[in-house]
Amino acid sequence: MLARPSGAQEAVPWWRDVESARTLVGDATPSTEGVWIDLPYLSEDGTSVALGVGVDRPMTQESYVQSLHVYALKNPAPEVADYFFSPLSGRAEIATRIRINETMPIGVIARISTGEVIVAEREILIVTIGCLTNAATYATTDVMRTRVRVPEQFTPGVPGEVTTLINHPMETGLRTTLAGETIPRNIVTRFLASVGFATVFEARFYSSVAVNPYLRFFIVPPQSGELVLRWEEDTGLAAIERRPILVG
Amino acid sequence: MTVTRRSAIGLLAATGAAAIAMPNVARGATGNVVVIGGGFGGATAAKYLRLRSPELSVTLIEPAEVFYTCPFSNLYLGGLWEFEAIGQRYDVLASEFGVEVVRDRADDVDVVARTVRLAGGASLAYDALVMSPGIDIRWDGLEGYGESAAGTAPHAWKAGPQTELLRAQLEAMPDGGTFVMVAPDNPFRCPPGPYERASLVANYFKTHKPASKVLILDAKDAFSKQARFTEGWAALYGDMISWVSRSNDGRVIRVDADALEVETEFGQRIRADVLNVIPPQRAGLIAERAGLTNNSGWVPINPATFEAAAAPGVFVVGDATISAPMPKSGFAANAQGKVVAANIVALLEGREPPRPSWLNTCYSLVGPNYGISVVGAYRLVDGAITEVVGSGGVSPVSGGPEFRAREAANTFGWYHAITNDIWGTVW
Repeated sequence: MLARPSGAQEAVPWWRDVESARTLVGDATPSTEGVWIDLPYLSEDGTSVALGVGVDRPMTQESYVQSLHVYALKNPAPEVADYFFSPLSGRAEIATRIRINETMPIGVIARISTGEVIVAEREILIVTIGCLTNAATYATTDVMRTRVRVPEQFTPGVPGEVTTLINHPMETGLRTTLAGETIPRNIVTRFLASVGFATVFEARFYSSVAVNPYLRFFIVPPQSGELVLRWEEDTGLAAIERRPILVG
Repeated sequence: MTVTRRSAIGLLAATGAAAIAMPNVARGATGNVVVIGGGFGGATAAKYLRLRSPELSVTLIEPAEVFYTCPFSNLYLGGLWEFEAIGQRYDVLASEFGVEVVRDRADDVDVVARTVRLAGGASLAYDALVMSPGIDIRWDGLEGYGESAAGTAPHAWKAGPQTELLRAQLEAMPDGGTFVMVAPDNPFRCPPGPYERASLVANYFKTHKPASKVLILDAKDAFSKQARFTEGWAALYGDMISWVSRSNDGRVIRVDADALEVETEFGQRIRADVLNVIPPQRAGLIAERAGLTNNSGWVPINPATFEAAAAPGVFVVGDATISAPMPKSGFAANAQGKVVAANIVALLEGREPPRPSWLNTCYSLVGPNYGISVVGAYRLVDGAITEVVGSGGVSPVSGGPEFRAREAANTFGWYHAITNDIWGTVW
């Protein structure tokens, strides 16, 4: 069948073949326990596959998960996204939607503030079914329109979930028109969440983030205030949303 | 009704239903084959096993006396067909084809001892087992949508009392009301089904309740035959049907069935006059009880034979399987049932299974005289089911009214041909 054992038997771990991943691991000897990857077993539509990634570790000043890095190892560019956490994230966990060209392993690197590095990977089968047509996967309306959901109230010390979406075609720069002209790359590259003056969460997107970038993450605000969310496009254009935060 | 083999073959060829080459001579395999589930996949397998090898004893286990088909249940919901018109019976399978039909439910399968335990207490031994368990609802897959909620906000995704309930609600709805449908993420049974349903409900409203609306809240950003449906909706129903994609906050995360209200991912609360929730699904429960599902909830199969990956010798067909790129459709189940019948006969005769190929043909009605279709042919390539390049495709956008009317006529022909092929005298 399509499924094949992945990872363990390979002599060279996947991250050695990806320059940015190799740089991230650096001199560390990565461990392989503690990162979970939530992916469907099989996706009937590789244009927008739900992905969840997380590390079950404490998030304190002494030790917290600094970042998670996602790779789609057989996409034209393997880098999918980087997520940067802080102790005010509360939980090192995200959910998003990504593009996956074909059946392949998805790789994740987690960096802990103590210097520890964890790697993980998981295979996903991509088989587009006959009934689906995906001609409109790049089409989007109201580009840069944003949607946000924040808990009505945060309980002190308990991480709350923030759900975000921005309408954007995430044009890869790899497509051509019927006339053979390249459609220029145009993607959202950066997302920032801050409370007061502190950045609590940040993400960097590459072209394998699916159209209309969707992102769920956690924050644990210390007191009531304002959550400011900022999306930046590669043209320099930005979208900003502000939401009151109520802790109590 | 008597159909000669010649005319039957003509019928099948006309709708492209012939899935595999028939052997010239049945070679007389013997043994007991048990088939669990009398839907599109199981009833097909039972009939074609008996056709291929009249010495075989074939027992079909199906709890329902009448099997109501999901295909064309949308015509009933739209008031175009009577409910009994989509009811299929097992009399012909028993009387004309010698299938022993047991009206019971399979409660457990022991794949080591090769026995099936029935709800009625009996235990059946088998030499080969076919399972066509269909789907079950993931009752924990959508907050607020448990079994009791389905009594108020029907899913109607297994044809039967749920379908009748939804029809009764549509009939009782005052003009000017809103029919809200919650459509699931992939994978689910019958990818174009929700959109055909929206179409035929709109057709009913147009005639009987013209001030009413259809609102589809979708967990997806794209759906089956989308361009054709969208074109048809505009042509037939103006702005009566609205479709809200996931990216436009169409994904429902919570259902309040008592209030007929749903909540979307970004916090909109939407009230319905009639609420149809098509929830997340998985393989029919017996597949899990037999230990055949993986953590996706569906059954991985060996594509060459359609034996369950977890239990060689147990053949699984239809919506319960992971057989992409074939869709979860009645036609695909029918094609798989025929291939499995051929495989089992070969197995029992000690021969190699034949080289399989499969077809899928899927028609949808956008209106009573407006049909659209998608066709695909599939082969085994390097051990994987693979769509044959250039073998099919979707009917053209902007085909014109005559083309759409012809496709609608073919849709009715499709239903009569396939139901005859499975439950009728045709073979």
